[in-house]
Amino acid sequence: MTAPLDRTNPVARLLVAIAFAVVLVLSVDVVSAGVALVLGGLLLLAAGVRPRGLALRMLPVLLVAPFAGLTIALYGAASGGVLLSWGFVHVTEGSLRLGLATLLRVLAIGVCGIGLLGGIDATRLADGLAQLLHLPARFVLGALAAFRLMGLLGQDWRALSLARRARGVADSGQARRFAGQAFALLVLSVRRGGVLATAMEARGFGGPGVRTWARPSRLGRADAVLVLAAVLVLGAAVAASVLTGSWHPVAVLGG
Amino acid sequence: MGAGREVRTPHLIRIMPAQGDSSHRPCSDLSKAGTVTSTTSISTTRRLRWRVVDIVVASVLAVAASFLFIVWNTAYLGPSNLLTPLLPGVQGLVNGLWFIAGPLVALVVRKPGAALYGELVAAIVSALVGNQWGATTIISGLVQGLGAEIVFAVLAYRVWTWWSAALAGALSGAFASVYDLGLLPGLPGGYAGSSAAFGAVYLPSQAISGAVLAGLLAWVVVRALAATGALARFPAGRAVRPR
Repeated sequence: MTAPLDRTNPVARLLVAIAFAVVLVLSVDVVSAGVALVLGGLLLLAAGVRPRGLALRMLPVLLVAPFAGLTIALYGAASGGVLLSWGFVHVTEGSLRLGLATLLRVLAIGVCGIGLLGGIDATRLADGLAQLLHLPARFVLGALAAFRLMGLLGQDWRALSLARRARGVADSGQARRFAGQAFALLVLSVRRGGVLATAMEARGFGGPGVRTWARPSRLGRADAVLVLAAVLVLGAAVAASVLTGSWHPVAVLGG
Repeated sequence: MGAGREVRTPHLIRIMPAQGDSSHRPCSDLSKAGTVTSTTSISTTRRLRWRVVDIVVASVLAVAASFLFIVWNTAYLGPSNLLTPLLPGVQGLVNGLWFIAGPLVALVVRKPGAALYGELVAAIVSALVGNQWGATTIISGLVQGLGAEIVFAVLAYRVWTWWSAALAGALSGAFASVYDLGLLPGLPGGYAGSSAAFGAVYLPSQAISGAVLAGLLAWVVVRALAATGALARFPAGRAVRPR
């Protein structure tokens, strides 16, 4: 049986992920970020996201989040009792709280972003963006074509390595070789893009006729459930934050 | 085809002769010989209209830039954390690489919206692959792309020099800073809530970084690309004589 999340339309997932991120940054506070992190994580697990895969993909976020929090704790807007002051560094009760909130916020946005966006099928997303959101089809499909070309890059890289070794130009320094080979790969991709464009035009892509779609993209019940669940989670996060009095809208740069 | 629809010459006829022709020479030589007359009288609409090859190659470049983003999304931590203790905000100096997609794509295809499109597509791929900023990456891409786009638009999509690229990178960085610092109402920013002193260092740092790591670097890459002949179907490629 497919996971509930896999039955949703990628467009719905993208919009929910954006909504999560935007609502979470309206306020820098521990409660809203914490509630969203916990409930959002539970929602993803309920929707069939595998915990192991999610944890693995979260690694970069886990690496970065403490630094984001630390920056705000050290240099954030000062308020409350001063705990440490050294040059530009002003650790205060206020900035410490902001730092912790930032840490939780990065984690919450990361979990929801990676959980919702990870594993989205690019082809289905493109179909949805063009058919449901009516973004310009030429651009959406052009981007999809380029994205799918990138699947060939691994193979190209190996072929380039072998060719360079055969020609005896692979013996210079590691960094130089990497940069040279990366540029060769870029040239190859641009050339291939040109050939692909010609082939697409030969098949009528970008022509003046009316476009039809081989894969119709629709919104269904699963999408309604996803949106409803997201509204509930975000509503709970904001309500909890406001009710506990910790709602702290991001102000213009503090002193 | 319906009546009244504009009849366009198929793109293939205009573009194909240069393909795979090893004796290809820059257009200036050809027009002297009288074989190409359309290049001199290209109308503004045609100059600014996106061809299919523009769209596909712009997308290829954007996705290539997104690979750079994905690496930098974690690799930036090293240099960034080395710089931060020197003066809070100077870590913005390493962020310029994230603004490169806009100037890179714009310099190659030279169409309205190219910088915005390039940066946006690269940001979407970066978000889909997954990073610590989640869906806000897409908002970042939009804001950064807009910064670069404005510079090229003000120059009427006619100036594609190193300084216009640097300017585009710089404004891209400035726009990114305004967003990062949480100064856009109702929009998330990574450094929202930071002090004014932090912002006063952070914004110029990102602008300088954008000028160098996004603008000038993109210009160098495009020049190198043009020299290989890979951009033969673009004005950027025809401006440089193949080696």
